[in-house]
Amino acid sequence: MEGHQRNLYLYDRFNARVTGVSVDDVTTLKYWGKDLDLTFPLLSNVTGFLGDSFGVVPSSEIKGYPVFSRRTVIIDKMGIIRYAKDGSPDFKEILLFLKKLNQEGGK
Amino acid sequence: MMRTRQISILCGLLVFGWLFWGCATPEKKTPLKHGAPGMAVFDDEFEFSNPPPGWMLVQVESGGEFGFGFMKVDPGPFPSQSMFVYDEEPFGCATQFEGREKEFFKRYLWSTAMVLDMKIIERKKVQVVGGEGLAVIAEGKDPVKKEKVRTKIVFGKRGERVVSWYLTQWRSLDGTYDNAAFDVFDKFWGSFGYLKKSFYETL
Repeated sequence: MEGHQRNLYLYDRFNARVTGVSVDDVTTLKYWGKDLDLTFPLLSNVTGFLGDSFGVVPSSEIKGYPVFSRRTVIIDKMGIIRYAKDGSPDFKEILLFLKKLNQEGGK
Repeated sequence: MMRTRQISILCGLLVFGWLFWGCATPEKKTPLKHGAPGMAVFDDEFEFSNPPPGWMLVQVESGGEFGFGFMKVDPGPFPSQSMFVYDEEPFGCATQFEGREKEFFKRYLWSTAMVLDMKIIERKKVQVVGGEGLAVIAEGKDPVKKEKVRTKIVFGKRGERVVSWYLTQWRSLDGTYDNAAFDVFDKFWGSFGYLKKSFYETL
């Protein structure tokens, strides 16, 4: 998330906005975001339905605790998922993709 | 007799070929090269004063906490060692040095799992890579593990982004610090230069 915060000025340049989604509750996210000085929205999705929408299956690493697998998803203005990748975000790849998407006509 | 001799020659050739093949195995290329006199170049991108002998190159293949740097094991009991690095993504997000310093120290050396009550010893403005920077010297002690660390961090700018150089010197609680390592580090960041634009500057 810190990496996304560092790249906010570049996301602005490419007409992109970033949002974090987690199954943590609102209070936890509020303090976590404050501790990391995050200024973009963090969505609390305790029931995990957004995870189903974006194909983020519950992690098998931690049994009995509802956590999402880590996934980066880029959605265009039409609501179409244009990029999805599991694991830690590849920030350079994300930025190049957003640049390309922006050049395609502000999608 | 003739047959034995032929087999011996054949075996000799095979051994020679095996040895020759072993010698011909390509060596892994180091990203560290000589630059101008007294200077080194890393990855064809970063130029800096070449550290004296005894400092070993350290680098993170991917996804690490820093880019590259140098370390040496110092005389004395564990954990006597010094390491300095260049880091393109220092902890935190603030684009102002003072704000970044506060964010940085929230997570700095957290992976050591030590109780380090870091105290700032010195903070001053410096010139680095042709622009204004901030240098901070701090010291932390862990009374449980009986270890301590002195560190110097220099924040600078590469394009719009904050970058950093930092040195950590670990000692046992009753050990003495080696100022010579700090001098080598000062030459490292003081001579640092970029040979090409960063990824972010080309976007």
